[in-house]
Amino acid sequence: MTTIPTTTFLLALALAVPATAVWRLLGALLARRIDADGVALQWVRAVAVALVAALVANIIVHPAGFLAATTLAERLTAMMAGTVIWAVSRRVELAVLLAAVVFFGLQTLW
Amino acid sequence: MKVARAYEWSFAAAGARRALSLAGLVMALSFAGFGAMLRALHLPLWPGLLSTIFVWALPGQVVMVEGLAAGLPLPLVAAAVTLTAVRLMPMVVLVLARARLPGASAWPAWWAAHYIAATVWIVSDMHLDAVPRPGRLPWVIGLGTALLTGMVAATATGYLLAGRLPVALAATLVLFTPAFFFIALLDGARHRADWLAIAAGALAGPALRIVWPGFDMLLAGLGGGTLAFLIGRLGRGRAGR
Repeated sequence: MTTIPTTTFLLALALAVPATAVWRLLGALLARRIDADGVALQWVRAVAVALVAALVANIIVHPAGFLAATTLAERLTAMMAGTVIWAVSRRVELAVLLAAVVFFGLQTLW
Repeated sequence: MKVARAYEWSFAAAGARRALSLAGLVMALSFAGFGAMLRALHLPLWPGLLSTIFVWALPGQVVMVEGLAAGLPLPLVAAAVTLTAVRLMPMVVLVLARARLPGASAWPAWWAAHYIAATVWIVSDMHLDAVPRPGRLPWVIGLGTALLTGMVAATATGYLLAGRLPVALAATLVLFTPAFFFIALLDGARHRADWLAIAAGALAGPALRIVWPGFDMLLAGLGGGTLAFLIGRLGRGRAGR
């Protein structure tokens, strides 16, 4: 494997920082003009929720890294187990923990 | 009488304490994964730590490192990073709209904006209602500062421990992130539009990844979110009559 020079890494970082910050800056500018109880904010919220839902679904359906070594059935079963536990208990921590336990169990015991 | 136009910084401590939670733990697992990734790609740790501090958005950091490893030209790497960062804009709007004091000095809002990504947004959404208005922005800054400090340590820890975990355990640690985000979204849903947005995003995201990779999250967010918002309003209008 070719090693990447540290200067290249730092140059990429020098570009990545403003490339990220610009959207936070725009968000902060927009927040000054938007009504906290208004309709526009409800739309922004729906967009943010859908974004994160899409992010989650993509990790499960199109996994990379370590998750790619597991099956879709294992990942979906764990997520559904977490959802059911949350629906019954309404406790986020418990549901996430048990989803992880189910996932680990499926991989090691199956 | 004096109107509260100044922030109450004593609430920063309460925000910082919120970092010691499942959300913080899940975030640390993700950043440890990023540290391990640096190691696997034979990249030095310290610029990776700088990216945790100054980029502070994991998908962007991962895309940057992957782009470097693939030998992509730097402008292309920057374009890929900025594409993943668009999602931060609505999150910053949502947190700041509820936390900032109109008329107070502006710099705390700029400072807080740097900390806002998915985790800080979700944790703020869960707890900000219980914080009095002048304390909200300090609360967010306390939370963000504590999380950022912890994630620098988590990135370094992941780098040092890379390759020492069994695969089943490593995969389970990675699963914490989608499991936490998904269940936190369900738990935070209050209106019909929220539920619809979760369903629309979760269905559209993976489909769009196949059709138009790179733009999938943005399209699913904008399209799914807008659809959910419109249907939610339609329903409300009818119920009102």
